[in-house]
Amino acid sequence: MRLTRRDFAAGIAAGVAAPYLIKSANAQGATIKIGMCAPVTGPAAESGGYAIKGAKLALEAVNKAGGILGKQGELIVEDDQTTNPGIVLAFSKLAAQSDIVGFLGSIRSTQVHAMAPDVIKLGKPVMIGGTDPNLTHMGNQWLFRCRPNDSYSGRVIAEYGVNTLGKKKWAVLHSTDAFGTAGGKALTAALEKLGAPSVLDQGYANQSQDFTPVVLAIKQSGADILGSYFTFENDLGIFARQLRQLGVNIPWVGSPSIVNITALKLAGPALYNTYGVADYAEDSSDGSKAFGKIYRDTVKVAPDNQSSWTFDAISVLAQAINKAGTTDPTKIREAILAIKKFPGAEGEYNFDQNGDGLHGYNIVKNDKGNIVFDKHIEFND
Amino acid sequence: MDLALQLLFTGIGIGAVYALVALGFVLIFRATNVVNFAQGEFSMVAAYLMVVAVEAGLPYWAAFIVALLGMALLGVVFNLGVYYPLRHRTYLPVIIATIGASILLANSVLAIYGPQPQVLQGWFDTPGIQLGPVYLDSQYLLIIGVTICLVIFNFWFFEKTLLGKKLQATSQDKEMASLLGISVSTMIMITFIYSAVLGGLAGILVAPVLFVSIQMGSTIALKAFAATIIGGFGDVAGAIIGGLALGVIETFGAAYISVPYKDGFAFLVLIAFLIFRPQGIFGERVAEKA
Repeated sequence: MRLTRRDFAAGIAAGVAAPYLIKSANAQGATIKIGMCAPVTGPAAESGGYAIKGAKLALEAVNKAGGILGKQGELIVEDDQTTNPGIVLAFSKLAAQSDIVGFLGSIRSTQVHAMAPDVIKLGKPVMIGGTDPNLTHMGNQWLFRCRPNDSYSGRVIAEYGVNTLGKKKWAVLHSTDAFGTAGGKALTAALEKLGAPSVLDQGYANQSQDFTPVVLAIKQSGADILGSYFTFENDLGIFARQLRQLGVNIPWVGSPSIVNITALKLAGPALYNTYGVADYAEDSSDGSKAFGKIYRDTVKVAPDNQSSWTFDAISVLAQAINKAGTTDPTKIREAILAIKKFPGAEGEYNFDQNGDGLHGYNIVKNDKGNIVFDKHIEFND
Repeated sequence: MDLALQLLFTGIGIGAVYALVALGFVLIFRATNVVNFAQGEFSMVAAYLMVVAVEAGLPYWAAFIVALLGMALLGVVFNLGVYYPLRHRTYLPVIIATIGASILLANSVLAIYGPQPQVLQGWFDTPGIQLGPVYLDSQYLLIIGVTICLVIFNFWFFEKTLLGKKLQATSQDKEMASLLGISVSTMIMITFIYSAVLGGLAGILVAPVLFVSIQMGSTIALKAFAATIIGGFGDVAGAIIGGLALGVIETFGAAYISVPYKDGFAFLVLIAFLIFRPQGIFGERVAEKA
């Protein structure tokens, strides 16, 4: 058989066009992709594992219920290394994949701040768990929060400590990163409003090996209650043990990390009888109970907020895409903001125009290692 | 006064950990003229070995011996795999190789054991004792005790034993030591084993206080490295004094000046030494003759 010039040209044309045709065909028939930045390595790698499991469980449920726009959802995970440069790199790798329609960012506010400029540039929805109130109040319309922000946690900690426990002399301890600083500010502001200004406002740097100076400062301040915002469980564990060793036994109401699984394991009895504001509390709602059962059955570990917020993030995103009926980012954004009374693992989602889905916190108590739900405090303002 | 005493005890306890790791830095530097940046990872690996051995059901003391034997083996492998192939090269490739090895060790442990931080119980059932106004953490007491014992042991070993003198001779002048019939490669091998065991000992001792995590080694090593420079790089006594000084300075700095800048104090002191006394507390001034 002779190869004519026409045959050769047709062959070249087919060769050049084939990859595009195949890619296009794949794109049309493929899954709906959701990108996720998660700490697979670094100090938060353990909680990162829980986060990924939560997201995968939600996606399984979504896929069983018919998927997203009739297709199966697929999760693409990139390691954020628990660092700010790490999450910027992870997000840029995911953002380069044009067929990813939505993303899950970090539970750490400092990391969300780091990736925020790239989120604006990309212009696609990113679900976040970082609780710094500024994240949804700085003009970035693509961030949607699946946890209550720290303006609520600060108010709940203050209200519970002052009105329920009857304590007025507060020591406020917080990490000096974006999360801890914002949380500390929210708590001190809430305490001032309640007429109980803090007697000690103490910051600390993450990954500290010793908290003796901090504990002694609390002791000397004469505080009768402690409010805290810890970023890393290692720090919380070391501090809790030193606090008890040095004889400080005042009531302690902490931010959500005080009741997460890693912290409970590391600190053990040092955290008994402490209180925590928890965005996830298993007995707080039917949605929380349902998630708790699925998670325990599958992962064989008690659920906490590391997995519940990613579970909700996927569920909310999938519902929004289905409601929008398209993968157009602007339409998905509108659909997310329109979500009301959505029963999630973390509570009932009612998105406001800033992108905050939840507006209250649960108070839980560490009863000899068991986390017991006390009450939910919701804010409407 | 009570506050100062409590801070002093804690500072010395933390400083003793830095000193143990710094000792490993110094010994390898003296023997090979390179800084082993995997020294911190030795601490981390030993802590994980200890956790694995305890979880396997071994009594605490047996787990301790197994972990230290594991570290001795790691010292051999490290010497043969990282230092020996590059021994005739300049110091730079060796240092880079130790950095590479530290990353490899951290990621290997991560791959094998997972990212979960672990709890390792201390040697004693009693967490500590109250001595007047000062609470003495039993683990810190143990760390301080072990450090004192090691200072005495090191003095005896390097000054009074033939093997110690051979090691010193090798570190001072390898060619001359070789001419005198000392097997230089064996001496360097022993140094790596001893340094790995020392680093491991620090890791096992500090694990009940700081928990066992992939990051624990690098956190300690950074301070220990600063301690060796403050004490005088290459000086055993300097490493101990430098470590203790650093622990006390950062603890007092945190208490009386600023908690968030605790790490900053350690490195401010380091910078001050680099500017005003680069040879450290015990180091001798080195000058080039015209």
